[in-house]
Amino acid sequence: MAVRIGMMSFAHMHAYSYAHCVKLLEAEGKAQLVGVADDDPQRGQHIAQQYGVRFYDSYEALLNAGVDAVIVCPENIKHRPLTEMAAKAGKHVLCEKPLATNKTDGRAMIEVCKANGVQLMTAFPCRFSPSYIRLKQMVEAGELGEVLAIRGTNRGRNPGGWFIVPELSGGGAVIDHTVHVTDLCRDLLKSEVVEVYAEIGNGFCHGDFDDTGMLTLTFANDVFATLDSSWSRPKVFPTWGDVTLQVVGTKGLAYMDMFAQNSTLYDDRDMRISLQHWGSNVDYGLVSAFVESVATGKPVPITGEDGLAAAEVAFAAYESARRGEPVNLPLPG
Amino acid sequence: MLRVGIVGAGTMGRTHASAYMKLPNARLVGFTDAVTDAARRTASEFGVQAFDSYDAMLERVDMVDICTPTPTHLELVLKAASAGKHILCEKPLGRTLRQCEQMIEAANKAGVTLMPAQVLRFFPEFKQARDLVLAGAVGKPAAIRTRRGGPYPRAANDWYADFEQSGGPILDMVIHDFDWLRWTFGEVERVFAKALTFKGLDHIDYALITMRLKSDAIAHVEANWADPGGFKVDFEIAGDAGMIAFDSRSAMPLTVAKQEVGGGGGGVAVPESPLAEDPYMLEIKHFVDSVQAGQRPSITAEDGMKAVEIALAAIESVRTGKVIRLGGGA
Repeated sequence: MAVRIGMMSFAHMHAYSYAHCVKLLEAEGKAQLVGVADDDPQRGQHIAQQYGVRFYDSYEALLNAGVDAVIVCPENIKHRPLTEMAAKAGKHVLCEKPLATNKTDGRAMIEVCKANGVQLMTAFPCRFSPSYIRLKQMVEAGELGEVLAIRGTNRGRNPGGWFIVPELSGGGAVIDHTVHVTDLCRDLLKSEVVEVYAEIGNGFCHGDFDDTGMLTLTFANDVFATLDSSWSRPKVFPTWGDVTLQVVGTKGLAYMDMFAQNSTLYDDRDMRISLQHWGSNVDYGLVSAFVESVATGKPVPITGEDGLAAAEVAFAAYESARRGEPVNLPLPG
Repeated sequence: MLRVGIVGAGTMGRTHASAYMKLPNARLVGFTDAVTDAARRTASEFGVQAFDSYDAMLERVDMVDICTPTPTHLELVLKAASAGKHILCEKPLGRTLRQCEQMIEAANKAGVTLMPAQVLRFFPEFKQARDLVLAGAVGKPAAIRTRRGGPYPRAANDWYADFEQSGGPILDMVIHDFDWLRWTFGEVERVFAKALTFKGLDHIDYALITMRLKSDAIAHVEANWADPGGFKVDFEIAGDAGMIAFDSRSAMPLTVAKQEVGGGGGGVAVPESPLAEDPYMLEIKHFVDSVQAGQRPSITAEDGMKAVEIALAAIESVRTGKVIRLGGGA
């Protein structure tokens, strides 16, 4: 039986890729894209038309259309209300990252899903990167010895729009780009972050939002890591950004540049040089895993708790920058 | 003609010696080394004299070039200054700030030139990046990253592994980057760092240092003595109007891979980055020319001390887990 999926909001651009992946799974008979609902009817109708599915003029209508599960991609602060609606309607939820913009909302989302017997999965597609999976295998097999330190980056560009309106996004670059690499580190180390120090700035855009983040994380197992979450890529940079991890172990060092599988396009008409990615589609792995969990009832591989733990590191980073000192986790509340 | 004596006949002593041999206004007189045999071997290699003692060498030269382990710098500098000799001293200038201060005082009192060998300022990729930054090529710099390192260094008596002597990769190696960061972007406001230095590991060290500069830019420095894959350097300067990126791995104009003897099998490809003007040569030429012209070199002893101050602040942050603010009277 194909898992029937509804899309709740396309405010976050990742929704386009997720919808595309649902269509790929539809071709395999594993999923079906039932319909789209969006606060922005024009946007929603356009996408519905593009995929040849129905546009629902309210989230309630979509949830009543016989879907099994939803993919939730609104502005960050709306993750909670949409997840609550879906859970109360008995639908499984794949929620875009960051799971929440504060701890209370994240907790509420986890609890409402539990109370209604639905699964909550956080959209961390990097976990499905074949390069990351290979790195994790090597670490687990002890090929690097004991892991001692990690240097991570997840850099990009200012996406603009609601991403730079803290009332909608919960912050800037730090809330946007801290969670992916933090999640990979937690997954790789099987250990929780216990301390965060952050230098945060706005030196790229000079706006009322942060665009520069340099975080230092300490894990319960004494491993330390830094994470550059800045929107520091220039406008002419040949690709969107990066996800990198350098893992230092007692027996060796591994360096992963997750999106390095590219060819270079030199385009005279656009006067632009760009990297053309030919590596595997990590979003497909993510959506596919969600669909499989919904179909079989097995636990989702990345939980709401995982999403909240990574988001909490971003909350702590803001707190650290405010206080000018390292902050201990878990945060109160 | 400036008569030169080198103390320390190791890798850096020889590198410097090659530079003096090419200068028309300097003459390498000889070497001295705590290991007499080392001084003899190296001296005969360059066709110069081996001195049994530093004092004996001082009598025969106008300047000394100190290429010895860090904790020996103080005594060697003080002796040279009181003998009225000019001094080029390897980095880090001193093991402690107090040592640096004593050296500066002694040099000032004796009226001799003391220059720390912060050679990175003569590396064309770093010099060019600074010139570009000062010309506004990236706008206002906001985020700067540097990476330096490779395998754990090996040297006489394994002195790098003795933290009390070397100060680990933070003091011994990325002092280069600290000096370049100050020179290019201005003073440091505060430092936070994590490192393996005090974890009791065997010949593996690694540090990640985050700094807030007075300009408000954020800098991240990696010090790596844990990479068996070879020595690498990179930097990235991102500003509000552009970015400069350098990676030593992709700046190798020449790579040679040799067939193994007997054919077949895999050889190792060795990349090279040849330059018409060796950075060490440029550094030494600058020092010699400055001394002969009676001018202050562009790198002052105070610069050397400031770089040590940043490194020691990073080490203090590693030890205490706290943010260390600079300029509070060291």
